[in-house]
Amino acid sequence: MASITLKNIKKTYDAKHTVIENLNLEIKDKEFMILVGPSGCGKSTTLRMIAGLEEISGGELLIGDRVVNDVAPKDRDIAMVFQSYALYPHMSVYKNMAFALKRKHEKQEEIDRKVHAAAKVLELEEYLNRKPRALSGGQRQRVALGRAMVRQPSVFLLDEPLSNLDAKLRAEMRTQLKKLHQDLQTTFVYVTHDQTEAMTMADRIVVMKDGVIQQVDTPQNLYNHPSNQFVAGFIGTPQMNFIDAKLAAESGRYFVCFDAYRIPLPDRMVKARDLADYTGQTVVLGVRPEDFHGEAEYRLKTQRNLIHLPVDQAEMMGAEIYLYGEIGKTPVVAKIPSAEPVAAGDTAALALDMQAAHLFDKRTGDAITD
Amino acid sequence: MTKTKQKGLRALKFLFLLLLAILFLVPILLVFMNSFKSKFYIIGSPFSLPNSETFAGIENYIKGLSSSGFFAAFGRSVFITVFSVLLIVVCTAMTAWFIVRVKGKFTKLLYYLFVFSMIVPFQMVMFTMTYIVNAISFNNPIGIVFVYLGFGAGLSVFMLTGFIKSVPLEIEEAATIDGCNPLQTFFLVVFPILKPTAITVAILNAMWIWNDYLLPYLILGTGQKTVPVAIQIAMQGAYGSVDWGGFMAMLVLAIIPIIVFYISCQKYIIKGVVAGAVKG
Repeated sequence: MASITLKNIKKTYDAKHTVIENLNLEIKDKEFMILVGPSGCGKSTTLRMIAGLEEISGGELLIGDRVVNDVAPKDRDIAMVFQSYALYPHMSVYKNMAFALKRKHEKQEEIDRKVHAAAKVLELEEYLNRKPRALSGGQRQRVALGRAMVRQPSVFLLDEPLSNLDAKLRAEMRTQLKKLHQDLQTTFVYVTHDQTEAMTMADRIVVMKDGVIQQVDTPQNLYNHPSNQFVAGFIGTPQMNFIDAKLAAESGRYFVCFDAYRIPLPDRMVKARDLADYTGQTVVLGVRPEDFHGEAEYRLKTQRNLIHLPVDQAEMMGAEIYLYGEIGKTPVVAKIPSAEPVAAGDTAALALDMQAAHLFDKRTGDAITD
Repeated sequence: MTKTKQKGLRALKFLFLLLLAILFLVPILLVFMNSFKSKFYIIGSPFSLPNSETFAGIENYIKGLSSSGFFAAFGRSVFITVFSVLLIVVCTAMTAWFIVRVKGKFTKLLYYLFVFSMIVPFQMVMFTMTYIVNAISFNNPIGIVFVYLGFGAGLSVFMLTGFIKSVPLEIEEAATIDGCNPLQTFFLVVFPILKPTAITVAILNAMWIWNDYLLPYLILGTGQKTVPVAIQIAMQGAYGSVDWGGFMAMLVLAIIPIIVFYISCQKYIIKGVVAGAVKG
């Protein structure tokens, strides 16, 4: 069981190309930490540095209290699950799982016991004699997990382990992985570009972009209090809408003005920060699609926040319907209950829930209100 | 309409392949047939089957074996072929792995050197090579194994690099995390994955090394004969007279091992060539 500390971690290739400039992160013991971000953001590199597969160009990496910068991967007490599973194709499932233990010269009975225990948890017992090529994708994935489990490492590293599975299996494996984490009581570090995986499994999420950590927080906080426009846009589907708006002040009250609308800011936002600096300037209003409300009673309640969205396209998703249109020139998506009678070509009257809205600095992208 | 056309095309293809197969089998059959005929009848009617008059039983075989020092030569050939092939497979697999995994100007140059060595004709280097081999006392069955390593390396490295490129690096990284050092990673993980291509490389090299005449003749001379050299020398009498009967019998004995080896491994040769071609 171990925590992981990254102190001023730097990664450069060929001394010229810098992938990670200065990364600081503290992963707690037994935590399920997910690194998420678009491709090329440095999340996999970070994971591979923790694994010891990439050299660390600068800074310190600690697993527990031990600095492991120069410790070989096998001595770091970690196990890794790869995106392509990386099973040994010429070995049976049993041998794949026993391989690391054999390298450590453990006793045969001990190896046997551990492999069978892991196989039982992962429901692989009947496949132990098969070669990987005779298994389905989901089974291979479980073998890869089993190979990591038998070593009883203090840290599990998982590099996009679900991205080669189909949607249904992925959803199943998410639940299984979460359960596995609870059962094993071990630190998990998980890399993905899929924010749904991150939101559903993580204790905390690290959102990265261009080698820089944007925010580290619980899924709930990331969703409700994104620290900048990038995080706000990355977490949540469909993406948060960003509308350029002018901030206006009138007798102590603040308004956001865009297109023909002038919508008052709720007290929560005004109290949170002195908005005087931004008065008269363009800011970015962030509204999640689900914070547009099409229901009649809602519309009545929030008359002043009503906007009219000409619907170009309506996508039926089952319980919800996605409405696509434009406010001014800005494309906007709204997500409303599918019971509402709206179709493409209509103009939908939607109430904007300003309590859940966000304001961002137009220039830096930082959140103005939390 | 198209179905009959397809059928016709298939029949044509079959016929063509059949002809090709016969073309390749006839010489072997001729050798086999004539090895049972008495030597005076071989030149006169090489295509006729042995009959009561021409049939010589195993006389040719007995004569051939007793006169040519065949057994010694056979043992020497087996030694040279087995160890050359082993050395080629192990060394070139490691080299190919190094070339693929360590990217840089040096490995690129190394790769091109190996490829280039494939197109240099043997005759171009044979005299200088023989001179050097003699100078460093490699003119013995052990030394020639290393010479064969040099001549076999080009094609072998070329084929193996093609295949190794298709082996995911992640498998090797998994081995590293599982506690393997580079040597263990190679022998426990990479090499077993290479098996089909390695066997192909082994077959291709075994065939030409077993059959090779010129190199052993130049390096080992007539003192330490290999099978092809032994047969040629023993059966060639004075004034250009050749004992065709003994010659044929010895040829049959010489080709049996390589054919058996080929047949027992042939399913891999196709796998190996395809794997290199598709994934490389």
